[in-house]
Amino acid sequence: MPDSGAGRLVLLILAAVFAFLYVPIAVLVGLSFNASGLPTAWTGFSTRWYAALLQNGEILGAARNTLIVAAASTAIATLLGTALAVGVELRRRRSRGIEALIFAPMIIPDIVLAIALLSFFSLLRIPMGLHTIVMAHVVFNLAFVCAVVRARLKSFDWSIVEASSDLGASLVTTWVRVVLPVIAPAIVAGALLAFTLSVDEFIIAFFTAGAGRASITLPMQVYAMIRFGVTPEINALATLVMGASLVALALAQRLNRRTLGA
Amino acid sequence: MRPVVEIEGVVRRFGSVTAVDGVSLAIAEGAFFALLGASGSGKTTLLRMLAGFEMPDAGRILLDGADITRTPPNRRPVNLMFQSYALFPHMTVAQNVAYGLEMERRPRAEIRARVAEMLETVQLLPLAGRRPDQLSGGQRQRVALARALVKRPRVLLLDEPLGALDAKLRGQMQLELKRLQHEVGITFIVVTHDQDEALVMADRIAILRAGRLEQVGTPREVYESPATRYAADFIGQMNFLPGHALPGGLRLPDGGLVRVAGEGPVQGEAVAAVRPERIRLGPGENTLTGTVRALAYHGLDLQLQVETPAAAEPVTLRLTAGEAETAPGIGERVTLGWAARDTRIFPA
Amino acid sequence: MRDRGSAFLMAPALAWLAGLMVVPCALVLALAFFRRGLYGGIDWTFTLENLALVFDPLYGGILLNSARIAGLVALIAAVAGYAAAFAIVSRPRHWQPVLLFLAVLPFWSNYLIRTYAWIVLLNREGLIVQAARWLGRDGALPQMLYTEGAVIAGLVYAYLPFVILACYAPLSRLPRDLAEASRDLGGSGFTTFRRITLPLTLPGLAVGAVFVFVLSVGNFVTPALLGGGQFQMVGTLVYAQFLTAGDWPFGAALAMVLMAVMMLLLVAQTWVAERGTGGRRDA
Ligand SMILES: Nc1ncnc2c1ncn2[C@@H]1O[C@H](COP(=O)(O)OP(=O)(O)OP(=O)(O)O)[C@@H](O)[C@H]1O
Ligand SMILES: [Mg+2]
Repeated sequence: MPDSGAGRLVLLILAAVFAFLYVPIAVLVGLSFNASGLPTAWTGFSTRWYAALLQNGEILGAARNTLIVAAASTAIATLLGTALAVGVELRRRRSRGIEALIFAPMIIPDIVLAIALLSFFSLLRIPMGLHTIVMAHVVFNLAFVCAVVRARLKSFDWSIVEASSDLGASLVTTWVRVVLPVIAPAIVAGALLAFTLSVDEFIIAFFTAGAGRASITLPMQVYAMIRFGVTPEINALATLVMGASLVALALAQRLNRRTLGA
Repeated sequence: MRPVVEIEGVVRRFGSVTAVDGVSLAIAEGAFFALLGASGSGKTTLLRMLAGFEMPDAGRILLDGADITRTPPNRRPVNLMFQSYALFPHMTVAQNVAYGLEMERRPRAEIRARVAEMLETVQLLPLAGRRPDQLSGGQRQRVALARALVKRPRVLLLDEPLGALDAKLRGQMQLELKRLQHEVGITFIVVTHDQDEALVMADRIAILRAGRLEQVGTPREVYESPATRYAADFIGQMNFLPGHALPGGLRLPDGGLVRVAGEGPVQGEAVAAVRPERIRLGPGENTLTGTVRALAYHGLDLQLQVETPAAAEPVTLRLTAGEAETAPGIGERVTLGWAARDTRIFPA
Repeated sequence: MRDRGSAFLMAPALAWLAGLMVVPCALVLALAFFRRGLYGGIDWTFTLENLALVFDPLYGGILLNSARIAGLVALIAAVAGYAAAFAIVSRPRHWQPVLLFLAVLPFWSNYLIRTYAWIVLLNREGLIVQAARWLGRDGALPQMLYTEGAVIAGLVYAYLPFVILACYAPLSRLPRDLAEASRDLGGSGFTTFRRITLPLTLPGLAVGAVFVFVLSVGNFVTPALLGGGQFQMVGTLVYAQFLTAGDWPFGAALAMVLMAVMMLLLVAQTWVAERGTGGRRDA
């Protein structure tokens, strides 16, 4: 930048944007360690609100539900999504209909999918609970897994499959020994993404959970709590959830780098 | 007459690299001036300082006698034709060419007339409505040229204008550029690392080496009387014979003597230099004997590589098509001769 | 053989999507054309009343208001996001990935928590009130939480990283010499931005703005949490029809209009994108 006025403006914009993005989070994290728990005064560093969390049965139950939903939906979505990705890339001709079908879960507004599934389950009189949340989460999760795996398969050289059968390997051997190892990092990355999305998902879970406390997930619990205002416990919970997302992100990054490096 | 461009002791550093290191040049009105140098020698940097995209760390640049060193690029009556052409992809050929005139807030009618006239000159009128990505490389090059020329700048700067074209098109465009320059009468400063191109197009050549000027002169001066060994090597082909400088000549390691016309200021370890086309078969004022090692036919001439005891490198000579009829074959012993006035001596 | 294997591999996932996405969505759209039953159920007689009700002054007003708020959010996020992306691109190359990563990082944390952070900031005992007091501004500050402003701030906050990401890609890919060529031909810095940089990066900006609009207009969490109980947008209205008012057909009609608006915008955005590249084709 030859013009230092423009250079200063650039720095100003950056400072403003980063302040806007990080001040709210920083305040939240800071408050979670405030002994008084109130924003009015800093009364010293404390982890008592984290300890309180661990005593809270409702939160622990919700966290357990979330892990169940995320694990189940990730497992199903990874299986279906990977098969779908391989199937689509294997086809010689692209079908616009299939492409649209795969793309749709990523762009349909959550609220629309949520009410659609709610109407569907209730009109068919399917009792709702954790299993219906899982079924719903698989819908968008499999789309994301499929997208990640397809990105990897785009650069896949199909002639090595032919080379493998040419060398006498059976179809199954070829897949297990040749194709899977190549796309494995993408499958893991896709699964990680699906898990994260499922853990964070609120609206669809909220509509498909059915009545009662039994199938409340962590985001639903958080929503219920924050509707009643600010409490030190939510600050601590929020900080923990953000920390977990950060770890998941770092893991995904590492994996991605390894995939690209391979 | 005062030169259009005067460059006075200009220096530009990037961190630890000194890209341009104290260059002073004067460029006359209407010149076709070539900046020649190896990759990384600072040609682009010098050109970008003339255009206003880089500020010199020292020295100044005058245009028509006025100091423009700190004038921003949009206020200089100087235009640059980019190495990459930098055509605006969202505008048609005509819109690209009109852009610079719109910046001058010319009346619509004038802009239309001048754009049409310019496109006519570069023979692009039929393509006026196309976008850059619908043009061939040569056509793009001409749009870039038209876009810069239509503003009638005092000086047009061209950074490797023909670099992206294939060999045949290059040859055509070299003559085309020269014709155009003659037609519009604008001073051209062309950057190139192709010495043939510089010799064909320019009426003055400056050779840059690691940010410093090595030599400035007409193509003939630079070719016939290179000022330094680097310049001699860079322009055209040259044979170098290492040895020990004496008054009036150079002693070769095998005891032979190479004579020079006039007395060189050189002493001690040195090289004698002679162009391949100045060497003939048969004895001359300077004579070497050796064995033919390779023959290469180049269309108009035949190149001979002759191994001699005088130098580790084989000596190259060029025979015209007529002489080639009776050329020796590989393995034959030959005598080579050339005149003292065709020989130059440089410090080793 | 290859195609048979492919069909076999795709079948389970496609069946899942058909059964749990296509059918339910078709069902909910169909619901829009039936009467609401007396006690919350559905009376299977065909009607267009629900769609008409969407454009009734009361609900039509909410629809327009949602569009206005989403438009404002998209505008603010577009301007701020573009400026931020522009600022990042003008930093030295080796800094850019780091800055971009930091700008997008908040996007990876939970949406509810990011929204909650604004409750912490804006409530009566929140940090902004504290700061104002500390700066010596006594007396009551105007209410900040549970206002339209809070909803707008929350939505901009949620989606700004997305716009930065969408604008960064085209800006960083734009060859620097185009702007230089414009300067060389006599364009000022502003003219160069207006006639070269902006038009060539507009498709990215359009993608960002359209997605922010679409995500905001049907949003339910942010208006519910930052707008307070009385604040209505299309998203909260749909929510209410299904979970409290029990008028599913009307909720379905609202969702249908929402989807229609979204489709329209995405098509328009694709059109802008294609025009922006000038229908690029190799000669
Ligand atoms: N913006 C820059 N930052 C750092 N170093 C630079 C910059 N521009 C040029 N240089 C360095 O300055 C030197 C001269 O570069 P310049 O581009 O002027 O060479 P050139 O003669 O045009 O070469 P070429 O024939 O390859 O185009 C090189 O060593 C280059 O690496
Ligand atoms: Mg260069």
